[in-house]
Amino acid sequence: MVTPDLSVSLGGLKVKNPVLSASGTFGYGLEYTPFYDISRLGAIVVKGLSLAPTPGNPPGRIVETAAGMLNAIGLQNIGVERFVGDVVPRLEDVGATFVANIYGKTMEEYEAVARRLSEVPSLGAIEVNASCPNVREGGMAFGATPGGIAELTGRVRRSTGKPLWVKLSPNVTDIASIARAAEGAGADAVSLINTIVGMAVDHRTRRPQLSNVTGGLSGPAIKPVALRMTWEAAKAIKIPVIGIGGIQSAADALEFLLVGASAVQVGTANFRNPRACVDILEGMEVFFREERIAALADYRGGLMMEKSP
Amino acid sequence: MTYNPTRFVTGRIVRNEGRGEIFYRIEATIPEPLRFVPGQFAMVSGWPGNDPLLPRPLAVFRSGGTRGKGKIEFVYKVVGRGTALLSGLHPGETLSITLPLGRGFDLEQAGRTYWLVGGGVGFSSVFPAAAVLGRRRNGFEMFLGARTRDHLPPKEWTPGGKAPGRTHLCTEDGTAGYQGRVTDAVLERMRELSPEAASRLTILACGPREMLKEISTEALQRGVPAQVALENHMACGFGVCWGCVVTLWEGDRTAYRRVCREGPVFDAREVVW
Repeated sequence: MVTPDLSVSLGGLKVKNPVLSASGTFGYGLEYTPFYDISRLGAIVVKGLSLAPTPGNPPGRIVETAAGMLNAIGLQNIGVERFVGDVVPRLEDVGATFVANIYGKTMEEYEAVARRLSEVPSLGAIEVNASCPNVREGGMAFGATPGGIAELTGRVRRSTGKPLWVKLSPNVTDIASIARAAEGAGADAVSLINTIVGMAVDHRTRRPQLSNVTGGLSGPAIKPVALRMTWEAAKAIKIPVIGIGGIQSAADALEFLLVGASAVQVGTANFRNPRACVDILEGMEVFFREERIAALADYRGGLMMEKSP
Repeated sequence: MTYNPTRFVTGRIVRNEGRGEIFYRIEATIPEPLRFVPGQFAMVSGWPGNDPLLPRPLAVFRSGGTRGKGKIEFVYKVVGRGTALLSGLHPGETLSITLPLGRGFDLEQAGRTYWLVGGGVGFSSVFPAAAVLGRRRNGFEMFLGARTRDHLPPKEWTPGGKAPGRTHLCTEDGTAGYQGRVTDAVLERMRELSPEAASRLTILACGPREMLKEISTEALQRGVPAQVALENHMACGFGVCWGCVVTLWEGDRTAYRRVCREGPVFDAREVVW
């Protein structure tokens, strides 16, 4: 049987397969070159970039929890200028399709970062982080309401001609209305979910375990929530949905595709297994071959629901 | 010293046994022998399931083997669920290992003598340095500290070599060697040093943060360079999660730097204690 066609279009960015790395878990991509050829992935999404370098939160940034972890990194990053100057040429050399996740404390900062990145011809798409739970300003503050998402999406939309993805927070009541707001304001795709706000304390020291007190929960613990929200968002909008949350095997990734995701992003699994993304890709190829499915499009969104009597 | 590029390998456990009162030693075969710098570490997992999710950082203790058949050894103390599960793995079972990671001790400066200080399980980082110095016939002394005698590393683990350094044992309860903290033993010796001896000395240390802080402070006052191996919780171990940062001086400002990438060994002058 011929190699299955795993290519998919993600809001104007055509990728050769639906396995992407999730922002914040993949550095700037180059950190993974010792482990495999990162150009094999559909795309890599780099760590959230702000206009100026950001120092991040004080130490006490991660805590392991049952089948997951909490983080409160606070978006430590090298800033957009160093990314464009130092990192982009190296990603071009490697031949990777790459997407920039962006973040700002104000709407104007989001716009400025988007404008700067629009000048990078090799950049595949911009993913707006409207959902970081670990910074006081920006991030989730803009992403928690349909109105906030619509304004942020619209302003970044007017700042760039690049494919525009909006990364959504799960810390909302109705994900469908948030997804519709992003779509209505000009997003080309949405990605979800970012981490779920959580907390860990030490019963002996009587102190929070994170310097930021609360953090974002990720890992297999959050997969059922992520799957449900991906399903709800995919039903609500016509633009592609990129599923994220606790994916660590090809089976996990396929479940997201089944409920309507066009692609997936793999996050925390990369920490445990640096080859996680490529292992998932290979597992997916084996599955399609074994099941004699010729193309991703023949499988995606194919969740079978019992008809109610 | 040169070391291999980082790789992600499957190891097969040859031996995993408790030694002494609280330590375990795990030995595994890996596809190729490993060149590493003392103080470098590995991320190790092998237990089934998702809980705990993350691999554990362990100092590379020894490596060996021949082409096409490498061997790797770690020692560890059971401190939580991950290391408890690790201690339950059997020969024949597999480990996932990412290694070598981080920046190790700088043993390259000519004409230095070394004091190697290991507090608790910190010996696992300094023994590999002792092995290198012993092979080179470079002078060194080693200070090992524990709460009690049974918590000191088993004698047979101490690197021998052509020129084994003198080893000072310290126990807080006085059941072996110097009675008191290893910190105090080192501070006392430092105060007895002639300026000339101090000018040739470099200290390498791994252990509890308070031990590192006190030794670094005294060493820096006397102009003795100190390199300290720090620990922190880590998710990835290879620089992408940014979870393991510590605060360092950069000029008169401070910055958050990764233990796994810029460390785990830092110049004591850089560390904001």
